[in-house]
Amino acid sequence: MRKIFVDYTRCVACKGCEIACAVEHHPSRSLVGLVGDARTQVNVRVLAVEHEAFPVSCRHCDPAWCMDACPAGAIARDPDTGAVILDPARCKACGMCAMVCPFDAISFKVTHASPDGRETAYKCDLCVHRVREGRLPACVEACHSGALAFREHAELRRDRATRNLREYLLGERAMPETFALFRELRRREFARRREPAP
Amino acid sequence: MERKAPKRSADPAGVEMLEIAEQGNLDSVWERLEAQQPQCGYGQLGTCCRICVMGPCRIDPVGEGPTRGVCGATADTIVARNLARMAAVGASSHSDHGRKVALTLKGVAEGKVTDYRITDTEKLTAVAAKLGIAVEGRPLPEVAGDVAHVALECFGKQDDEPIAFLRAYMPAKRFERLKKLEDDLLASTGARYGLLPRGIDRESVDILHRTHFGCDADPLSLVLQSVRCSLADGWGGSLIATELQDILFGTPRVKTVRANLGVLEEDMVNLIVHGHEPILSEKVVEHALSDEMQQKARDKGAKGINVAGLCCTGNEVLMRQGVNVAGNELHSELVIMTGAVEAMVVDVQCIYPALADLAACYHTKLITTSEQTKIPGALHIQFEEHRADEVARRIVETAIDAFEARNQGRVYIPPQSEEAVVGFSVEEILKALGGTVAPLVKVIADGAIKGVVGIVGCNNVKVRQDAFHRELTAELIARDILVIGTGCWAIAAAKAGLMQLSTREQAGPGLKAVCEQLGIPPVIHMGSCVDCSRMLVLAGALADHLGVDVDALPLVGSAPEWTTEKAVAIGTYFVGTGVPVHLWPVPPVLGSPAVTKILTEDAKGVLGGYFFVEEDPRAAADRMEAIIAEKRAGLGL
Ligand code: SF4
Ligand code: SF4
Ligand code: SF4
Repeated sequence: MRKIFVDYTRCVACKGCEIACAVEHHPSRSLVGLVGDARTQVNVRVLAVEHEAFPVSCRHCDPAWCMDACPAGAIARDPDTGAVILDPARCKACGMCAMVCPFDAISFKVTHASPDGRETAYKCDLCVHRVREGRLPACVEACHSGALAFREHAELRRDRATRNLREYLLGERAMPETFALFRELRRREFARRREPAP
Repeated sequence: MERKAPKRSADPAGVEMLEIAEQGNLDSVWERLEAQQPQCGYGQLGTCCRICVMGPCRIDPVGEGPTRGVCGATADTIVARNLARMAAVGASSHSDHGRKVALTLKGVAEGKVTDYRITDTEKLTAVAAKLGIAVEGRPLPEVAGDVAHVALECFGKQDDEPIAFLRAYMPAKRFERLKKLEDDLLASTGARYGLLPRGIDRESVDILHRTHFGCDADPLSLVLQSVRCSLADGWGGSLIATELQDILFGTPRVKTVRANLGVLEEDMVNLIVHGHEPILSEKVVEHALSDEMQQKARDKGAKGINVAGLCCTGNEVLMRQGVNVAGNELHSELVIMTGAVEAMVVDVQCIYPALADLAACYHTKLITTSEQTKIPGALHIQFEEHRADEVARRIVETAIDAFEARNQGRVYIPPQSEEAVVGFSVEEILKALGGTVAPLVKVIADGAIKGVVGIVGCNNVKVRQDAFHRELTAELIARDILVIGTGCWAIAAAKAGLMQLSTREQAGPGLKAVCEQLGIPPVIHMGSCVDCSRMLVLAGALADHLGVDVDALPLVGSAPEWTTEKAVAIGTYFVGTGVPVHLWPVPPVLGSPAVTKILTEDAKGVLGGYFFVEEDPRAAADRMEAIIAEKRAGLGL
């Protein structure tokens, strides 16, 4: 099963993934169209944890906590892609899915898909419409730095293992030096903030 | 619950106010920084280009994504172009301030601006003499007119010769070095690289031109033009601002003031002047202190009017009029949160747009005055030089009228304020030395003072307020290194009580003895950010006295809590003048190893000055001490 894998050490926090997701799920399919539109759905959020940034979206678990918990039967699995899909028409906004989701990947608001202008749950749909056409999810396509990958885990694991081995065995740096320095300086900046006040 | 405030500010008054802000759930620059996390790495690394609309393009620092923009620009090109634009904006801000002063002097000389006058005739004749303008037997307004003319020519002349102020003020060896460098580069590469500024406006416009889509892609060329543009600021725009302000408002003399929020008065109308220019604030101070206005304030039930400064407008009136200073950049919201400010009047630069909403939560009037700085939600009272008195009166009256609406139940003024000995123009330093730099050279040669560090620049909310300023300053004086400086650093040092005569007790034995002998503190307030030019002039005087270039001197610069593009220009003109410069935080250049190397390594060989980055105050002091030792060795000391 292909999944969106995150290499957070490569996330530059540009939020390009957020914008791409918003455009993809907006009825206008355009950046200009969504400006100022509060119903715009953004299914991935780049969150800060100290100096690290992590793009958080649904992990499409199997079995899925949210699906098991939803009393309305609003959450189902897409047979082709394995994606966990939320149907806002059935959603009663009880919040059970959000409570059980270990990744806090579910939000509530009035989106363009919400019926009767009421708040409903929304989450990442893995861009199933794109994936079925053989395209990448919008966020993955948008990410320039390789922080997001939509792949089979076996492939990803092999590539990462090879890359790390090249570093250990051949001393090849996986990350350019100035970028490594940038990350280190940010780490220290935040560590300093955490230090007890003198 | 964990207390956030002590981690956000090293200033006890700041901490108190931040705790009040937290209790009251008030928005502040610190909260907004948190809300902005995580911040975009492309921007921090300098590898985002928005110069044309084929873009925006981003160069992935990890090497996974595209390595060139749509036009083919590499990370090196993009970083260098972005940096050049920062320098151009910074230089333009300082220089445009200088232009206004020159225009005011011109207006006064021609009798068209009657609300101002020539206050310091001694300075006028000194500046005129330096510029080669005849003084003997000529009426002063005529001389002033000539000085203003030469200054304005520096902005707008069209020939390729170096500008007159730089020519007159830059130490001889440095001028020759830059000239030779231009010639050598032409000879060795066949291409023209310029370092000596031809026109203050021109060098900024040059950068706007050469960073346009499809022009200069060569990082070295872009960096050198950034140096030229910055030199046009330091030895041009800023210098003109300083010198001509001295003529109009008086050269600063040594005086004692108080610094920090405790200078606000609970039972008086508190009027804060904030921004960068003295032109309006001088008038506000004059009218606020008038008997008439003080009486008006008493009629409204206040005990009188209390004017206090913030940022560099604060520094300007502190240096010349001895006005107390309420704080530096990160205090600008906190001062309103005291609930005791009737009006904050601002001119240009470093004024958070957020102040308008915050002021609206209180009875405070935020008054904008400049055509170039209007803020939605603020009250705009248009300032014009030719009706300065009228505008200043209206501002003071607005503050007085606001007093009745003050809610005394919401007032809390932190008690902290420290005494500070300030007002060290180069003229005052020379006076303390007995008229020449020779005694200073001697104590440096003896080793009583190992060297001099000039600290400048802002607060930056990413750094605990004033912490770097305080720790670095204390570290340096303890090592017998004299600390001079300007801007928000100077206010930080004043608030920390580091500008008192008794501060010499914290200094090393050599520096302490010198301070005792000269009757000065070991930490010297030289003015506002445009007054960084005073540091250049002092460095130049030392170099000329010794007959060496500036890069031979045991001098180091630092901007340890910098924020603005102006700081980029300042740092760069220090480097271009031959002074190594410490920076924290890191400027947005790490996306380009090549540009990083030019700034931190190659510049040393070419210009003598170079940048270095250090996040820890003690380590920064170590590095500075090492640089000073290296320079001393070079001089055979
Ligand atoms: S919403 Fe949460 S629980 Fe449901 S599939 Fe996604 S990550 Fe798993
Ligand atoms: S697009 Fe990639 S680098 Fe940018 S925020 Fe998203 S995951 Fe991070
Ligand atoms: S100038 Fe070049 S790098 Fe910059 S946005 Fe345009 S195409 Fe992209």
